[in-house]
Amino acid sequence: MTIETKPFSLSINGQKAGPFEVPQGMMMLDFLHEYLNLTGARMGCGQGICHACTVIVENKDGSLREMRTCITGAHWFADKQVRTIEGHAKHDANGKLVALSPVQQAFIEHFAFQCGYCTPGFVTGATVFLEQLRREPVSRAKLDEAIIAALDKHICRCTGYVRYLEAVRDVALKTPGLVVG
Amino acid sequence: MRKRTILLGIAAVAIAGFAVAAGVFFGLFQSSVVAKDVATPLTADEMKRLAPRGAYIATVADCYACHTAKGGAPWAGGMPFQTPFGTLYATNISPDKEFGIGNWTRADFHRAMQDGIGKTGANLYPAMPYTSYRQMSSEDVDAIFAYLMTREPMRVENRKNELAFPFSIRRSLAFWNLINLHGGGFVPDDKRSAVWNRGRYIVDALAHCGECHTPRNLMQGMKAADYLKGAVIEGVEAPDITKEGLTRMGFQPLTLAQFMKSGVSALGSMTNQMFEVVHFSTQYMRDEDLTAMSAYLFDLDSMPATSPAPPAPAPVDVPAQVATAARATYDNLCAGCHGANGQGIPHVAVPLLTNVSLRIASARNLVHAVLHGIPAQRFPGLERMEPMPGFADLLDDHAIADLANWMRARWGGQQPNLTAQDIAKLR
Ligand code: FES
Ligand code: FES
Repeated sequence: MTIETKPFSLSINGQKAGPFEVPQGMMMLDFLHEYLNLTGARMGCGQGICHACTVIVENKDGSLREMRTCITGAHWFADKQVRTIEGHAKHDANGKLVALSPVQQAFIEHFAFQCGYCTPGFVTGATVFLEQLRREPVSRAKLDEAIIAALDKHICRCTGYVRYLEAVRDVALKTPGLVVG
Repeated sequence: MRKRTILLGIAAVAIAGFAVAAGVFFGLFQSSVVAKDVATPLTADEMKRLAPRGAYIATVADCYACHTAKGGAPWAGGMPFQTPFGTLYATNISPDKEFGIGNWTRADFHRAMQDGIGKTGANLYPAMPYTSYRQMSSEDVDAIFAYLMTREPMRVENRKNELAFPFSIRRSLAFWNLINLHGGGFVPDDKRSAVWNRGRYIVDALAHCGECHTPRNLMQGMKAADYLKGAVIEGVEAPDITKEGLTRMGFQPLTLAQFMKSGVSALGSMTNQMFEVVHFSTQYMRDEDLTAMSAYLFDLDSMPATSPAPPAPAPVDVPAQVATAARATYDNLCAGCHGANGQGIPHVAVPLLTNVSLRIASARNLVHAVLHGIPAQRFPGLERMEPMPGFADLLDDHAIADLANWMRARWGGQQPNLTAQDIAKLR
């Protein structure tokens, strides 16, 4: 049996990568795990339901989009700027961890996760949400509703939803310009 | 002198015309199929005896789905219907005395169901399928009445319709009825079997299939000449369910009955309004009624013990460039759930390889699903399908046209003649 492959390149966590020869029907999640050794995006349901596998696509205009990698082919990401969970914290030139992202930091401070299986997805979702707020701030009164709407699709089997909510609310309130009134 | 005669003539015709119009307007020519004997109320015993049967008839007639708003009180109405003339709201048919039908008599109910005239004498809008219910037997109407009266009264006020003039004048429906409301009660065809006749009674009267599946004329009446040949409703196509249409889609009598019971099959899952129909109605229908419907739709006097699936349509060639573009889109955005070869994932996503939406002449439903997705669906038993995301913001008109052309040609045997403009119109 022959597997049809096709080359593609992309930018991953700020670095150009590729070209890679990748089977046509390979899903992005497998590509991340098998070709790039980026195993932070999790295989949960494999059906697009749990959102444990999401990554960020950075659009040209600076806006962010969540994509599920278990149901999206690797080739869809050709020439796109992708941020996986490995790309959120800051590292120095030697690869040493310097600082977590505000979302990651808040999740730790709030004991937001338990087993942590869903966490990469929630970090992704919360980051996209906060970027969205920067563009379209909401009122304090609408904030919780907006968080729930944005993260509703993420499933946490340990049911840490309330703490996730509190952590994201915290970041939103502490970051100037995201919440008005 | 001649001029005067002509003028007088015109005036006379105008006056006569006006008189006839006024007659229609005030219901002079209104025909009724309601029998005189319904003036006698049912006794408490009769009501009690009829109610269980009414529960079943009301299920087959799918009354609940239309007369209950999403998240609203049961039977209390409020469900919106978008029509070309404005928005109509279903009414409260719970036995509440003030807002529902608690004060209605048996005769009032019969007139509403079969003549489209409400208790106050005002015309009902034909979104209420009285044109179909007209064929219902008097006893079935009684049964529904008896059943509804056993429901809990809901104190929910009816919502005002939002209709444009002149449709806001209920009397104008007298004209509509004159043109579109025909025939009397159901007359069995004694040359056909009991099964076929039962099927016809269900399809035409109780389940009112034609209301969605028969194309409508300019005045929104059913076009008798195109009986069950498919129509567009709320942006999606209720497909052709004549024998030819069903066969083209890949149905056979047994799979059709099974599809109505379960809502899923190799040919796809019920979506949009038909999903609601399965949810509230057909899944609860007796097997013999489902097979009767199927026998009638396939024009059979008895159901075959087995029937082989019709052969898959022969694939049609598409230009290489379309195929390459479409294949990439398919692999990237569709194959994760529908499988590299369109085989689907059991209990997750339907197969596309054998899917009806690719076989019907119009690409509307396929494009609608690609653009807007399909919400998660629970079907009878433990079956469910996961939600399908919409791709309206990920794919442009060209990409969708290529994808749809390629899939329809490959699995549906349809010519790849959709253009980006067609997609833009459906967006
Ligand atoms: S693993 Fe992708 S959504 Fe669950
Ligand atoms: S922390 Fe365990 S699944 Fe969310």
